[in-house]
Amino acid sequence: MRDVYIIGVGTTNCGRFPDKAAHILGSDAAWKAIQDSGIHPRKIEIAFCGHVYQGMGVGQRTFKEIGLVGQPVVNVEGACGSGTLSLWEAWRSIAYGQFDVALALGVENLSKILSGGPLPLEDDDVEVALGMGMPALYAMRAKRYMAEYGTTPEQFANVVVKSRKHAALNPIAQYRKQVTVEEIMNSPMIADPLTRNQCCPVGDAAAAAVLCSEETVKQLATKKPVKILGCISQSGKYNTPDKLICDPSENVARTSSMAYEMAGVGPEDMDLAEIHDAFSVAEMIVVESLGFCKKGEGAEFTDSGRTSLGGDSVCVNPSGGLLSRGHPIGATGLLQTAELVWHLRGEAGDRQVEGAKLGIIETMGGAQPAMDGITCVVAILGV
Amino acid sequence: MSEDTEFLTELYETKPHVHLIAGKCKKCGKYTFPKYLACPHCFSDEIEEAPLSKTGKLHSFTMVRRSMPEFRVPYGLGLVDFPEGVRVMAQIDKDYIEGLELDSDMEVEIGPVRIGKDGKDQYSYKFKPAS
Repeated sequence: MRDVYIIGVGTTNCGRFPDKAAHILGSDAAWKAIQDSGIHPRKIEIAFCGHVYQGMGVGQRTFKEIGLVGQPVVNVEGACGSGTLSLWEAWRSIAYGQFDVALALGVENLSKILSGGPLPLEDDDVEVALGMGMPALYAMRAKRYMAEYGTTPEQFANVVVKSRKHAALNPIAQYRKQVTVEEIMNSPMIADPLTRNQCCPVGDAAAAAVLCSEETVKQLATKKPVKILGCISQSGKYNTPDKLICDPSENVARTSSMAYEMAGVGPEDMDLAEIHDAFSVAEMIVVESLGFCKKGEGAEFTDSGRTSLGGDSVCVNPSGGLLSRGHPIGATGLLQTAELVWHLRGEAGDRQVEGAKLGIIETMGGAQPAMDGITCVVAILGV
Repeated sequence: MSEDTEFLTELYETKPHVHLIAGKCKKCGKYTFPKYLACPHCFSDEIEEAPLSKTGKLHSFTMVRRSMPEFRVPYGLGLVDFPEGVRVMAQIDKDYIEGLELDSDMEVEIGPVRIGKDGKDQYSYKFKPAS
């Protein structure tokens, strides 16, 4: 297996852009990533496009806007993990020696299909046919989490306060206005105990990364290549009643353990993490699943401020995360990637995690009562 | 309620009492809900339909207040663990939610869960506190 580097990243802003089709958002991000890398577009040998709701041939229709035609284009889908799955595909196409330069794009325009409310899910699943949306599933996790560990609604709200504080420093974030615990708790109830401010927004964006082999990076005058130390994708296993619905995710724990092992590092070595906080309670469960704290300690660990910017532990979601930077489904994984790359290069501006050398990305796609997630991707990046 | 307004009817029976129909592996004896093509535990494809117990324990629940257009909000939604080793999600009538406690006994009933394309209520299995 060969070492793989990220040599360029680019993103659009996150927000509501109903008049910008996926190929417009996507080509903007891809072009920025190519320019950031300094590589000639002709050197790109394969391009991947992660998305969920954007229809036929989105990758091909996007890349033709910037002259990337002829080379293979693969559209990848793994629910909310589609962007990171695109990164994983690009990584393995180089790591296993098939190509030297690959582009990974993630894109989504949700505004074109949705004015608000929960994401449309597959009605063929019995639970969805009976009324399950993602907010309801996470609300049931939150309900059980509160009962097990005595977590309060204020502690859930504090996750969002932290998220907005971080996003206020992030120029591409969708929600940059700071909020108080009271405002969060008084926002409309979506599914008890989760209020609207504890759910990620509907939004649109694209993000991209250019990856290359070690041999290629040596030939380039790339300013600061970021190394992919570990990159793993795993699907979920069956849920059975012997596990609590609020337990650390087996899918995230297994995927991250494999990534830590590949990278030769552990959770204690991470300077920052971009994780899948689609709902307030998710952040608490994911920090447990990634090994940053023990089972049941996620709420206190987060509430203590140790994972906030300037805290003494791993900084969790300096971008504002899905809750505030935004969660344009297919774009999310590469927005997380770009955030890590900016920090590792020291280019993250006011929200820079000082001296960041190692970071981790975790994206979780979908969830069903029967399965612990559909796709989990974890990547560990370092300089 | 007429038959054409019921759905997921392959997943429940109403006689002798209302209960759910799961898949049971003939080889290893483990259950799934609903029935799969192959057993996730031993990969046998010899799966038979088998009833679940009348009651299970409420693992978690919520009151859903924003949902897809086919659903009348608010409505309850719950996860119930059956002794056969499966966790099932279904609606709970909103009138039962107040005072409902985790780990309490729940049983299956048939009731309205969504609005059909014709605007009429569609019925299927739901949970209610055990009597």
